[in-house]
Amino acid sequence: MERIFCISINHRNAPVDIRERIRVEPAELKGILGKDSEAFAINTCNRTEVYWTGLEVETVCFLLGRLSGCEESSIRGACEFFAGEETIRHLFMVASGLDSLVLGETQILGQMKDAYRQALAAGTTDTILNKALHRAFRAAKRIRTETGIGTYSVSVASQAVELAEHIFGDIGGSTVLVVGAGDMADIAARRLRDRGARHLRIVNRTHAAACRLADDLGGIACTFENLADELVTSDIVISSTGSVRPIITRDMVATAMKLRKNRPIIIIDIAVPRDVEESAGKCYNCYLYDIDALKAIVDRHFAHRETEAKKAFSIVEEESVKFGKWLDSLSAQSTIRDLFALMDAHVAEQLRGQSIPQEEKAVLERHLKSSYKRLLHRPVSFLKEHPGVRYIEYVRRVFKLDEDYTDRHKG
Amino acid sequence: MSITAAFILYTLTGLGFITYLFVRADALLLALKILYGLSIAAHALSFSTLWRASGQLPVATPMEALNMLILFSSVAFMPLVFKRKTAILAAFFLPAASIVLAFIAPSLQAGTEVLLGPHRTWYVLHTLSVIAGEAFFVVAAIVSVVYLIHERIIQKGSIHLRLSRLPPLTLLDGILYGSLALGFFSITAGMILGGLWASAVGIALASIAPKVLAGALMWLVFGLSLHQRFALGWKGRRTAIITLLGFILMVLLFVGINAAFPESHGIRLI
Repeated sequence: MERIFCISINHRNAPVDIRERIRVEPAELKGILGKDSEAFAINTCNRTEVYWTGLEVETVCFLLGRLSGCEESSIRGACEFFAGEETIRHLFMVASGLDSLVLGETQILGQMKDAYRQALAAGTTDTILNKALHRAFRAAKRIRTETGIGTYSVSVASQAVELAEHIFGDIGGSTVLVVGAGDMADIAARRLRDRGARHLRIVNRTHAAACRLADDLGGIACTFENLADELVTSDIVISSTGSVRPIITRDMVATAMKLRKNRPIIIIDIAVPRDVEESAGKCYNCYLYDIDALKAIVDRHFAHRETEAKKAFSIVEEESVKFGKWLDSLSAQSTIRDLFALMDAHVAEQLRGQSIPQEEKAVLERHLKSSYKRLLHRPVSFLKEHPGVRYIEYVRRVFKLDEDYTDRHKG
Repeated sequence: MSITAAFILYTLTGLGFITYLFVRADALLLALKILYGLSIAAHALSFSTLWRASGQLPVATPMEALNMLILFSSVAFMPLVFKRKTAILAAFFLPAASIVLAFIAPSLQAGTEVLLGPHRTWYVLHTLSVIAGEAFFVVAAIVSVVYLIHERIIQKGSIHLRLSRLPPLTLLDGILYGSLALGFFSITAGMILGGLWASAVGIALASIAPKVLAGALMWLVFGLSLHQRFALGWKGRRTAIITLLGFILMVLLFVGINAAFPESHGIRLI
């Protein structure tokens, strides 16, 4: 197992000024690869990691130092180093979002798949890393489906969508009013649109900004003076302006509720200071959530994720043990041993149930074994001549020596 | 098919739906839908056995009337249970239905008494309409309970709870309105048919006054609920609360009048 390694420069151990300077592209890795070595790198805003086999750690550190312009010693001081089984466990955890800043996030899996595509295109990965990455993706998928780690979202915009779905069901038919055109409003509106909201209306003090956001999102810009009217026709309101005093008052909401005949409305106020008077939430069928209320929900969801993460860790453990067994089997000697064990099993199976005398059975067994040995002579000689992991893996796959572990990589 | 078989099936299905409340598995839901269909079939069979044995609609006693109410309510719930979004409502209805069935099952005996003479059809139609109306009110009451629970969960922001995966509020409100409207229509028709039947067979008003009063009171409560919805826009929580209060009143009247005036219709009360 001690043939796979990783260096991780991540949000836990490296300050942002180091993280932002290191970015490892597949082309740079190709430059340091030799015969029988493989490497894979992933770069995100929170981590840069290099996984490799068949290289010296100094070679990788030198590359990182060169790319970042930092001293090799400061790179060493700011990174985590993993070897063997720990590397695999770490890789599986990273792919599953268990090592992310936001526990259980899924973005990292997509980034990892993109990085892997680039590595494949550059040809920097081979048998071991291909298998490791495929197993990492598989572990991540298992964790998604077998645990509840991804059941509840932990972003404010997602909370808004989920709360709206609890009230209206499918939000596709609901009218969404976005008050404000800043970054937060933009993010929330985009999330709502991605989750199926089709009728977006944008209100902002500066109408031009509302128009820009509306054009961008495919919504309709409305004038700020019409805000009270918009409350009558909208079902979901997200407010995030920089106003120092509330722009949606209790009276406005009460009037709107009367005109909309108490059809429910959900108002998400993510502005600080608040955009909506607290007492507006007391209007009948008005569901008002401010940033603190949303944060309380997000905190509960985090707690749930942490509980589910315990189950996820056991899946990581299980998958890394399986991978470790596969990796350990990648030696010519153990493969030859497995081939002969396979032969013995076949012979025993063929003799089972044969109603012939014991002496004849022994003769038949000798003959069968002799035939099989002749048959196995070629692959065994081939393995002895070519003990590289690629050929070993081919032989193991041809003879199905890893029956519980036969997934195919596309490398 | 005995009522016991129906009771067992209702209980099993109810327990299954409670499990489904926490473990949302498609295979489980499919099995529960089949079980629900079987429960209704068993109950209908037991009901028809009672009907054949007595030769009349088996509503001669309060227990028989309750039996019919459970059957009608189960049928009224069927379209909701067979829709994925609303299937979970059965988790709230079936346990209550099982408890009532357990309570009435020992008292259900075929052919206890033959009551009717002339204008039998009117009487049957009156009974069917009233009990169908009450069944829709059962649906409305259960939906009201679910609405109030779900609204509370949303207000507290506890949407991470497994229990929170209930039908959306607007959908529940729509079902509530639909069942109230259907129930109100059926009860109104039942009251008119009952009046026609009573005058045709010459029953004195004095002997049915408590039942008529109770029926009128119930009719008013549900009528008020619908009126407030249209006139004042009392959607959601307020409708749910009025419906629940009306339903509790319906139960109290049923129990109270049958206990205090057992012969007030000239027959046993429905």
